[in-house]
Amino acid sequence: MILLDYHNVILHDTLSARFESEKPEALDMTIVDFDGVLYHLSTPTSKTNIQISFKWRCFPELINYGANDILQREYGTMLVTPPQQGFDVTLNVDLTSLPQEAEAREELIRKVSLLKRNIMAAPFERAFKEQEQFEDEKQANPNPELMAVHYREDEAIYVKANQDRVTVIFSTRFKDETDRVFGKVFLQEFVDARKRQDLQNAPPVLFSTREPPLELRHLNLQDSEEMSYITFVLFPRHFAALDVREETISRIQIFRDYLHYHIKCAKAYMHTRMRARVRDFLKVLNRAKPENINVEKKTATGRTFRRT
Amino acid sequence: MSNTLRPYLTAVRSTLTAAMCVENFSSQVVERHNKPEIEAGTSKEVIMNPLMISRNENEQVLIETSVNSVRISIKIKQADDLETILCHKFSRFMMMRADNFVILRRKPVDGYDISFLITNTHTEQMYKHKLVDFIVHFMEAVDREISEMKLSVNKRARTVAESYLGQFM
Repeated sequence: MILLDYHNVILHDTLSARFESEKPEALDMTIVDFDGVLYHLSTPTSKTNIQISFKWRCFPELINYGANDILQREYGTMLVTPPQQGFDVTLNVDLTSLPQEAEAREELIRKVSLLKRNIMAAPFERAFKEQEQFEDEKQANPNPELMAVHYREDEAIYVKANQDRVTVIFSTRFKDETDRVFGKVFLQEFVDARKRQDLQNAPPVLFSTREPPLELRHLNLQDSEEMSYITFVLFPRHFAALDVREETISRIQIFRDYLHYHIKCAKAYMHTRMRARVRDFLKVLNRAKPENINVEKKTATGRTFRRT
Repeated sequence: MSNTLRPYLTAVRSTLTAAMCVENFSSQVVERHNKPEIEAGTSKEVIMNPLMISRNENEQVLIETSVNSVRISIKIKQADDLETILCHKFSRFMMMRADNFVILRRKPVDGYDISFLITNTHTEQMYKHKLVDFIVHFMEAVDREISEMKLSVNKRARTVAESYLGQFM
């Protein structure tokens, strides 16, 4: 499994199980997702009404970038206002009025399990729209702002539309010395991978450790050895067609999780390797111990004997 | 095996064979104590001159001999950040299992990455030539292991980057 899924698997599986089961049951479940996202599934009024509440620390920022429009567009009547106490968004699924066809149901489940992705899509969609206005000569040129989403403590995504491109900058923090070194190796490969002939169409990737890129200089970010900045430059070919655009948004969002996941994998792999190597060393060392000669030995037929 | 590695390992092997000549020796200072003299360092006359064999400034072996113990400290090659991390992780991993490796020291000597302590009890219980074999095998294998781990990290990073960017086709 090299690539990660965009949706929340637990949410997806729980809902599928609920939709399939004959008898509705009470539900009270808390699920966490990447980047400190919290879901709460519950059946507060009746067993056939599932409420899905969502909480994320950067939600107020995303509202500013138009997350509400996306929520309205994607979930429409499912939205509950006001949301559950202590949460940002609440969706309501009524089990009695589910669509009959299996495909439509699957579509609904998928939509709900992509909640985080859809909310996060707001700044991207806005940036893509602004860039399109630049292209379109009839419309006045917009004045795009740098949209910052502080989705984790100390880490943020910055999105900005430019004349001919959209830049997405991730700031990520490697807490551990080992992670930092590994991260550097991985990120360098991201930069170098584009040199390959068949990857020419991929968005260019730039990365810097410690020093924020020029676009972020005016923010006076704290200087720290632990920070790395990764810049993706998206060109119109990455978001011109609507289906490509959706895919690009999903992919860019998952980048941080993808990177960190693989760093962890590399460490786990090294651990198993070291284990095997140490076992091998022990074997060599044990060869130095003389065999105990006074021990009972067995012949092939099962008789025991003692060497004298 | 590269040209400089062979004489290096041969030198280590013959020095170790000579140094393994240890015998039981009770402390001259404290009654009824019997400690590895190279660690205790209480009487100067039983400690021999230490010997350093070095292939280059990053790869060295320090062999310190005394009447009843030999201490061998190895500096492992570290060309860049990644190798330093890998080497550090690997030696720590081994030293945490020092109980199983009877001759491994729990902490390396200052300036080295990993140390072994061979006392007269070890040489009495185990074959001396096999102990030497082990040290030499260790030195050979650890270099190979670290460079293989480094390669595998690089390879993984490349695959990861390519499969991520490959999606944008």
